[in-house]
Amino acid sequence: MAELFDYDKNREASSAARVRALEALLIKKGVLGSDSVDAVLKHFETVAGPFNGARIVARAWMDPAYKQRLLDDTPTAIAELQFPGMTGAEGEHMKAVANSESVHNLIICTLCSCYPWPVLGLPPYWYKDPVFRSRGVREPHAVLREFGVMIPAEKEVKVWDSSAQIRWFVIPERPANSEHLNEAQLAALVTPEAMMGVALVPSPSTP
Amino acid sequence: MFTRFEEYAATQMLGHPDSPPRKDGKLVFDAAWQRTVFGMALALSKQGHFEWEDFRQNLIANIAAWEHEACDGKTSWDYYERYTMALIATLEHCEILQSGELAQQITLNDASQ
Repeated sequence: MAELFDYDKNREASSAARVRALEALLIKKGVLGSDSVDAVLKHFETVAGPFNGARIVARAWMDPAYKQRLLDDTPTAIAELQFPGMTGAEGEHMKAVANSESVHNLIICTLCSCYPWPVLGLPPYWYKDPVFRSRGVREPHAVLREFGVMIPAEKEVKVWDSSAQIRWFVIPERPANSEHLNEAQLAALVTPEAMMGVALVPSPSTP
Repeated sequence: MFTRFEEYAATQMLGHPDSPPRKDGKLVFDAAWQRTVFGMALALSKQGHFEWEDFRQNLIANIAAWEHEACDGKTSWDYYERYTMALIATLEHCEILQSGELAQQITLNDASQ
């Protein structure tokens, strides 16, 4: 049975050799710069991605005044952190909502172009699924339960539909037993799913 | 509206058959060559060597060809293998790459190792 999932080592080596040769050929022809690949991927790896959102959330957890500014005027509060990926249209029109003891927020979206890339990164496969979107609106508690997020029936779930006008993201609740963590350690706990409202931030393991 | 080509290009693929592997908001590469070929296609299109949509259509056609292969002897799924084939086809179509050139370069690389 296991052999069905084996991957031929020669096939992997052959793919790597083909790409290596292609890159060398294109550089030789002057079509591709030697640093072009790194330059273009830098955008996904260090400029726009969930690492930005995680830093925003961690700052909001550490600093209640910053959290309030983030809720009142999200773009200005984000600008305080001076992320390079926030300068274009993709970083505009963002609005943060905060989970609390009485409210849980869930973000849905009808178009990937409305996804707040600079803070959440690439959207997951199911995000554009019409069933997820329609059920998210109709029965958010049930949908969240399927994600493993148990929200008591008496707790309100607010559903926000991202659009080109407003791109929503969630400030999750700070987990219990995280008082000893610094901002970077807190940021490491925050996932894109938590900032979409389909996950909670787990309590860190005891130091 | 996107002002950054990188986000425009990736967004065109999301929710479609050519959507790239990703996890936790990030692209997933299992090997260095996968990262290289992904970046090459983006960089070349960003520089205007071909339309991103033309490359995408080649990739979608390549993926469909794999799906229609007979089960008997079908190779296992490899997104970036299909991606590489689509990039080569696109480069040949816009005459950046001539037929046989790549094979020669592979031989050259092998000889120099």
